[in-house]
Amino acid sequence: MNPVAVSASSAIGQIPADIASPVRIAVKNLNFYYSDFRSLKDISLDFHDRQVTALIGPSGCGKSTLLRTFNRIYSLYPEQRADGQILLDGQNILSNSIDVNELRARVGMVFQKPTPFPMSIYDNISFGIRLYEKLGKADLDVRVEEALRKAALWDEVKDKLRQSGMGLSGGQQQRLCIARTIAQKPEVILLDEPTSALDPISTGKIEELIEQLRTEFTIVIVTHNMQQAARISQFTAFMYLGELIEFGPTNKMFMTPNQKQTQDYITGRFG
Amino acid sequence: MNAASQSVQTTPAPWGRVRRGRYVADRVLRIICTLFTALGAFVLGWILLMLLYEGITALSPSIFVATTPGPGTKGGGIANALVGSLILTFLGIAVATPIGVMAGTYLAEYGKGSKLAEVIRFINDILLAAPSILIGLFVYTLMVRPMGGYSGWAGGVALAIIAVPVIVRTTEDMLRLVPGSLREAGAALGAPMSTVIRAITWRAARAGMVTGVLLATARIAGETAPLLFTALNNNFWFKPNLMGGVANLPVMIYQFALSPYENWRQLAWAGALVITLSILALSVVARLFLKKDKAR
Repeated sequence: MNPVAVSASSAIGQIPADIASPVRIAVKNLNFYYSDFRSLKDISLDFHDRQVTALIGPSGCGKSTLLRTFNRIYSLYPEQRADGQILLDGQNILSNSIDVNELRARVGMVFQKPTPFPMSIYDNISFGIRLYEKLGKADLDVRVEEALRKAALWDEVKDKLRQSGMGLSGGQQQRLCIARTIAQKPEVILLDEPTSALDPISTGKIEELIEQLRTEFTIVIVTHNMQQAARISQFTAFMYLGELIEFGPTNKMFMTPNQKQTQDYITGRFG
Repeated sequence: MNAASQSVQTTPAPWGRVRRGRYVADRVLRIICTLFTALGAFVLGWILLMLLYEGITALSPSIFVATTPGPGTKGGGIANALVGSLILTFLGIAVATPIGVMAGTYLAEYGKGSKLAEVIRFINDILLAAPSILIGLFVYTLMVRPMGGYSGWAGGVALAIIAVPVIVRTTEDMLRLVPGSLREAGAALGAPMSTVIRAITWRAARAGMVTGVLLATARIAGETAPLLFTALNNNFWFKPNLMGGVANLPVMIYQFALSPYENWRQLAWAGALVITLSILALSVVARLFLKKDKAR
């Protein structure tokens, strides 16, 4: 482990929110429907540039649904739709004129369960790069190494890049998926409970990684783990039954929340 | 903790409360199931042993060189029928594989939940169970009559029609086993659906899909009825343009086994053994393929 990672891990949870940082994603009056069921109700909130924002709330509160609107991954399912506005750098990504594939290259996503593709470690990483960039072998090698290094996986896999990604451990697979996402150089990274299927040591590694990635990317993370939200995020949004109950800097949300519901959830009285 | 666990302790239930009838019912069902399994295995074993016994005595190196003999001719072999069968099976599977894989992909990936897909799936299931003689007659009307005679092409098409529904079914089933999260992960990188299918889902389902094609090959390798009206059979080597009928093992077995000539019946046994062993080998390869992929 390098010294930078250690100092970063000790600093986890102590990096204050930078309220002055520009807004990267602005959600305005967002509603979401699964067929006739309205699962997000008039959500409005801002996500700041190069900050980690945690979405918390009990199961079924709509936090994953909200996350899945930012890259419009929900549109794979015809019965799901969203209305309202989501402005990414001022442009409404819910508009029909947006190319969803291009959007997804700019807004990367990592899922709850690791999803390595059935191909080599190298090909897993280069897959996303090759979709949008024509690079020579040498340049591609550089990008793959860079992504694996940033995901703190390089030292573990550098001698077996040609082996299948399915042969890695769960924690390694998840870091592979993160590497695959950052290799595309997205602007925003969405993390949907990225550590809920992992052991504590792998979870620790991923959390350190998120802390490092924050300096480069705007990160939105859905988590069931309150301590995790407190450790790694600068902003926290608490949701309940499809509504946004409270949003603010993480320190304030955990120390002196405005809403009683927020306090009850954070202290474990319900949810 | 200790005191609490002591206080909830109750007197243990007496043994032997379970009715004896349950044990008897269990025994009876077990015996019936075993008996019928043994009966099935016995019949299968009988067929295989008989085939091995008769087939091996009929087998000799020369039959793999000589062509099928005419009536009243001594000796002869099965070389032309063996090669003809290989050609027809290859033709059939070469036509059926792209159609079956594409249609199966449509059903599993594009047609999810659509009415059209439901209708196609239903028709495919009917085709899967269609009597193969009907398919022979269908191709007879479609190709043999317009072309003015029997041909290897017609035989290949008839076999393809048998193989397509098998491949459609296995392709769809195997693609459905690929978790949706893998498709989402591909889409989340900005890959269009066609790329996700080509580079990710097909690859994830590859072993199962190849197994489906191998099983379809095994299925059509032994089909007789579709060839009776299409490729027919004869005692000669195939013509380069595959016109005028192509010798093949299943129809050869059908004709020779019922013949009055001893050497013909011997050759029918040899042909039956060769075909059975090839199908057995194909099935084993298919299984190994699937197993190897699972272990990966």
